[in-house]
Parts: sequence; structure tokens; C-alpha cells
Amino acid sequence: MRKFMTSAAVFGLLLAACGGGAPAGAPGASTGPGGAPPAKPSAAASAAAPAASGGASAKPAASAGAQPAASGSVAAAAGADIKLGTVLPITGAFSASGKYFQQGYEMAINEANAAGGIDVGGKKMKIALDLLDDGSNATTSRSLVEKLVTQDKVNALLGGYDTTLVQAQEVVPDQYKIPMVEGGGAASAIFSRGFKYVFGTLQTIDKLGTITMDFLKSEVDQGHLPKPTKIALVWENTDHGKDYQKGIQDYVKANAGLFTVVLDQSFELNGTDFTALLTQVKSSNADVFLSDAHLPDYITMHRQYTQQGLSHKLVSYAARGPDQKAREALVPTADYLVAGLWWSPELPDPKSQKFAADYKAKYNATADWFQALAYDTARVMFAAMTKAGSLDGTKVRDALAGLEFKDTILPGGVLKFEADGRPNTPYLMVQNLPDNAAQIIWPKDIPGFKPATVPMKK
Amino acid sequence: MLVSAILTAGLYVVMSYGLALIYGVMRLINLSHAGTMMLGAFIALTLNRAFHLDPILGSLIVLPLFFGFGVVLYALVVRRIARSAPIVSLLLLFGLWLVLQNVAYLIWGNEDQSIVTPYTYLSLRVGFLSLAVTRLIVFAAGLAALAVLAWFMSSTYTGKAIRAVSLNYEASRLAGINVERISALAFGLGTGLAAFAGSLLTLLFSFTPDFGGVFQTKAFAVIVLGGLTSFVGVAVGSLLLALVESFGVLFIRASLQNLIAFGLLFVALVFMPGGVTSLFLSRRGGRG
Repeated sequence: MRKFMTSAAVFGLLLAACGGGAPAGAPGASTGPGGAPPAKPSAAASAAAPAASGGASAKPAASAGAQPAASGSVAAAAGADIKLGTVLPITGAFSASGKYFQQGYEMAINEANAAGGIDVGGKKMKIALDLLDDGSNATTSRSLVEKLVTQDKVNALLGGYDTTLVQAQEVVPDQYKIPMVEGGGAASAIFSRGFKYVFGTLQTIDKLGTITMDFLKSEVDQGHLPKPTKIALVWENTDHGKDYQKGIQDYVKANAGLFTVVLDQSFELNGTDFTALLTQVKSSNADVFLSDAHLPDYITMHRQYTQQGLSHKLVSYAARGPDQKAREALVPTADYLVAGLWWSPELPDPKSQKFAADYKAKYNATADWFQALAYDTARVMFAAMTKAGSLDGTKVRDALAGLEFKDTILPGGVLKFEADGRPNTPYLMVQNLPDNAAQIIWPKDIPGFKPATVPMKK
Repeated sequence: MLVSAILTAGLYVVMSYGLALIYGVMRLINLSHAGTMMLGAFIALTLNRAFHLDPILGSLIVLPLFFGFGVVLYALVVRRIARSAPIVSLLLLFGLWLVLQNVAYLIWGNEDQSIVTPYTYLSLRVGFLSLAVTRLIVFAAGLAALAVLAWFMSSTYTGKAIRAVSLNYEASRLAGINVERISALAFGLGTGLAAFAGSLLTLLFSFTPDFGGVFQTKAFAVIVLGGLTSFVGVAVGSLLLALVESFGVLFIRASLQNLIAFGLLFVALVFMPGGVTSLFLSRRGGRG
């Protein structure tokens, strides 16, 4: 038994060392101007996931311990005038979303380079992307961002995905006075830490809670939902989830008599088994089920939701719903789910439609908000560099602070940043329809609006 | 909630047998258990995509396939460190887990994968209860595996030899049992059962090469609760963990659910290192 106890202690230490799971590899990819040829992977790369897709080139891997990337990334960037750095979760729990961001960044860069580069101080400059993979690990993410700045000497940073990783990254830009624009972290806490070099294109989650409740109120007013509507609210135990929960609860308190929260529970991010939680949801006899979940949890939770035979008049997984990966896994059970989004391919404006068509042509898939946000995140950085007329970090930062980006594809048509770095853009709500379709259902005055199907069809 | 807990126990049982078997015979904590479960899931996925093979049938192919893999692994690697200090085997098997994980990255990539079958979203109505067909299948597989293992251990020479080695390695060798062969068989069987569990888990979860880490921790808690070497103990440990987890969320946040497994593990290690079953045995005057 003593031997076993020793083994158990070592087992615990090993698990602690890798955060309860195995450490992710950290391969990278690099996109040079005009699609630079791939750097030859090193031997180390063979032990890591291939990161490249859709035009990105495989780059020698860094280990999970944030070892310096080999010179492949810099070599690929050597022909460019501007080096942008980004650390994305190309492997690990957020790998699907990380790759969507990679695609969006690459589309923006390739588009700019195809036009001869961006205008900086009267000179056309081409752009390269130095991409590293954090394996969905926050500690690795922060180290790699620092590496991009101190070793790879990037001119500016594009943010990672998701909130937890962006929060880890955001301490670096102010430290080295290198601007960062991120489109993957939406917790309001990102913008409450007083950082001056961090800007976000993703509207904060507390406002997602508010717009969701605005939509629910209109459905109550129309008699599609009972009065009061009983809500079962579950949320991931992160700043992202806490923002959502606060947005919902604040709204419920401000609209007494319209809504009752009959269950308010948090769950672990990247969970594997939500059976016990969903049993509680079932027991709560709610009319509406609201869950703030990231993509992997959305897929797992809704699968188990359906398997447990749960049914509500309306179900929303906050910002998840029409995500293509989820619709492939959930098939018809994802129909009629409602989501609050930052962008949708259903937006009828020409710029959104062009982006959606370009994405479809390049990747043979339907664009989600992930790629659109990444695309605009990169383009807003280009616009700031053009406005600054310089690559100097402080000048680009100042340009971002006063920028009015009118070429945005995001709802609202003009992207500006508030004093704390958060964006001014509004949310829109969509509802999944059969055959992988979706429609915009809120707000009423948005182009492309159509009434929602509430209660949801079974 | 009780029914849900019992079905979850079926899931825990399936994924814990392999770990218990290998520890029982070789006193090794198989840290590559999660990697084997993950590979089992991906082989089931490949069989499903290539031949439209249902994961249940896939799991029956995976079991002998990984039995062979385990025997080879034992002969080439594990045998050399089987009687070494615990840290040696732990590090080796942990390293093996990482290798398996990265092999999966290279072959299947890193996207979330899932297998959708015609019954993935079916539920069975029993009175006011709605039981997921996939959970019932996994539960039934757990019971079937328990029955087969119980028969194998009590009715075959090899099974009896495994039990003997599990009880006393040296005495078994002196009694003429080929302990090397038995260890190889046990490691193969444990590996096969882990992969079998991984294949069945594809009915319930989406997965990536990172899959299995949390389940491995829970399996570890289960076998400690069950007394480390007993299959019946594994079933009891699984039920106990599932019950505490399910009813625990009534009192604590669901986000702390995994803490329950670690809490139970701690309690078991400190206060009843022989597992829950040892308490019953000692009360009956049996071996504690």
C-alpha cells in the first residue's frame, strides 16, 4: 500500500503538471506575403499537430513549454515590411475556433497583400503573420505572446481565442507598448484592467445577456412565452459566463413580473459530462433554457440535453448556435436554437455577403462569426497603421483609440473603440433553421430581420 | 436523478476495469489508460467512416486489436520496468500517453470528432423517465463486461492464475504459474478494455486527441474506492462516485463536480485505503 500511496502522489503531481490532461503541442504556421512557401518542419514538428490549413504553411513546432519557435516563421516573414504576431489555440480544446481565427486573419492579410500591401506613411507595405499555437493553454499563451514581441520583434499583435486566453495575453502589449486588437475575448473584465494597448472587436458578454432578454421580452409581449417566463440559466465558470449571468439576472430584476430564474448554476469549462446538471435543469420545469457555453461544451451539452429528452419553448447557448462544427455533430437537434452573435452570413449588406462568398470560395464552408471577427480584427489594425502613418507601437495605439472604421462588416456599419478599448458594435440574434440554414430574428430594425419561431418546433 | 446516477455508474465501470486489472496483477498505475481510451475512440471513428460500422460493433473489433497491442507493448516496453520503483513506470506510461496523443494528432488532426448513429438522439420513455438509448447501451456493456470478467476470473485457468498473481506475485511464481505470461495477458486485457471503453464513449461524447484525461482521473478514483483490484469493487466504486457526483450538485455548484472525484479519492486514500469493499469485508470478519 505504501508503494501505491507513493504512486498516487506522483500521479497527482503529473496530473497537476499538465492541468489534468496532457499538455498540448505547440506547432505554428506562418503566412507570408502572397502565400510564402512552407518552411520545412523540424523533427520536433512530427510530435505535434499540424496547424496549417487553407494556405497557412507548417512551421517548426515549439514545445508545450513555450520554447522559441525555429526560424521558419521569421524566414517566412522576411520578405514582408510588417510583421503581425498572433498566438492562437490551434490544438487543444479551442482548436476548431482557433483555426477559424487563423482563416480570418489569413484572408485579411492575403487580401491586403494582393492589393499591393497597405499604405503606411505613403509607402505600400506587405504583411506577414507570425502564428504560434498555445495548445489552448493560458500560461503558454502569455509566454508565446511575449516571445513574439521580444524575439520575433513583431510590429503589432492580433489577439487569440477565447476569453481566458486573451486575458492571459493582454498583459503583454502594455508592457512592451505594442498594440493588440483582439476579436476572441468578450468578457468585460478584459477591458476593466486599465490596459491602454488592448482593443477589442468583440462586444462584451454582459450586453449579450441584455439583448437575449430584450428578445425574450418581445416574445413574452407577443404571447409566445408565458408571463412570467421561467428561466433555467447555466453558465461556464469563467468571466465570460459570469458576464452573461449578470446580464440576464440584472435584466430579470429590472423587469420584475416578466421573468423568474428558477435555476442558476455554473459548470466547468470544457466539461465532459453534464448529465447531473441537465437533470437539475429538467427538474426546474423551466420554459426557457439559457446556457453560456463555448463550442465544445455547446456540442456536448446539447447532445446530452437531447439524449435526456429535455424540451423547452426556447433554448439558447448564448453565442453558439449556427456554428458549422456543431451543426455537423448535432444535426437536426440544433434546429431552432437561438443565438446572439457578433456577425452572421445572413447579414444582407454587400460587404458581409462578399466576405461570406469569398470564404465559401476559399474554404468550401459557410463562414461563422469567428472568421468574420478575425477578418475585421486584422483589417482594423491595418486601418490604424495607415492612419498612424507609422509602425511605431504608440502611434498605432493612438490611431486605434481615435479610429472610425467604416469598412467594417460588423453590424452597425462603423467600428469605434470606447475609452477602455471595447467596441461599440451591436449584437444580432439568429435562429437555426432546418437544412443548415439560419435567419436573423432580432433586433427588429436590422436588415434581413424575420420573426422567430417561438416556441421552438420539436 | 438516481436513475441518471446509475447509468453514469455504468459509464465509470466500463472505463475503470482495465485500470483495475493492470494494477491488480502488476501493481502499475497505467497512466497511458487515457491515451488508449482515446485511440479506441479514434479507431471506432475510422471504422465508422470507412465501413459505416456502428461503434458498438467497432468496440468488439477494437477489444482484441488493443489486446494484441497491449501484449506487444508489455513485451517490448513495460516488462522491463514492471518491478522497478513506481516513479519509473509512472513516467514511462505517462510518456506513452503523450506519444499516443501526438500520434493521434498526426493521424486525425485536432478537431472535435463525433459519431452520429441513428440512435444517438433516441430516448426511451419509461413512465415519467426519459432514458438515453446510448447511456443504456453503455450501461449494458458495463454489466456484460462485469459478467464476462467474473466468469473468466472464476472459471478459467488463466483467470484463476490472474487472481493468484494479483493476490501474491511471489507465491504464484513458486506455485508454478508463468507470471510473465500472466502479466502480459493482464496488460493486454487491461489495454483492450480501455480501448473498448473508449469506443463505447464515442456514443456519448465528442472527442479529440486530448480526450480521456478527466475520465482517467475518475477511473483512478473509482478503483481506489473499489479497493484497487476487485471488479465488484470497481462496480461499487463507480456507483458511489456517480451517486455522490449526481446528488452533490444539489449542494455545490456543478462547476465543482470534478472536485468530488478528487475529494473522494483523498478520503479513500486516507481513511479506507482498502476501498469501500474492504469495509464490508472487515465487518464480516473477512480480509480487509
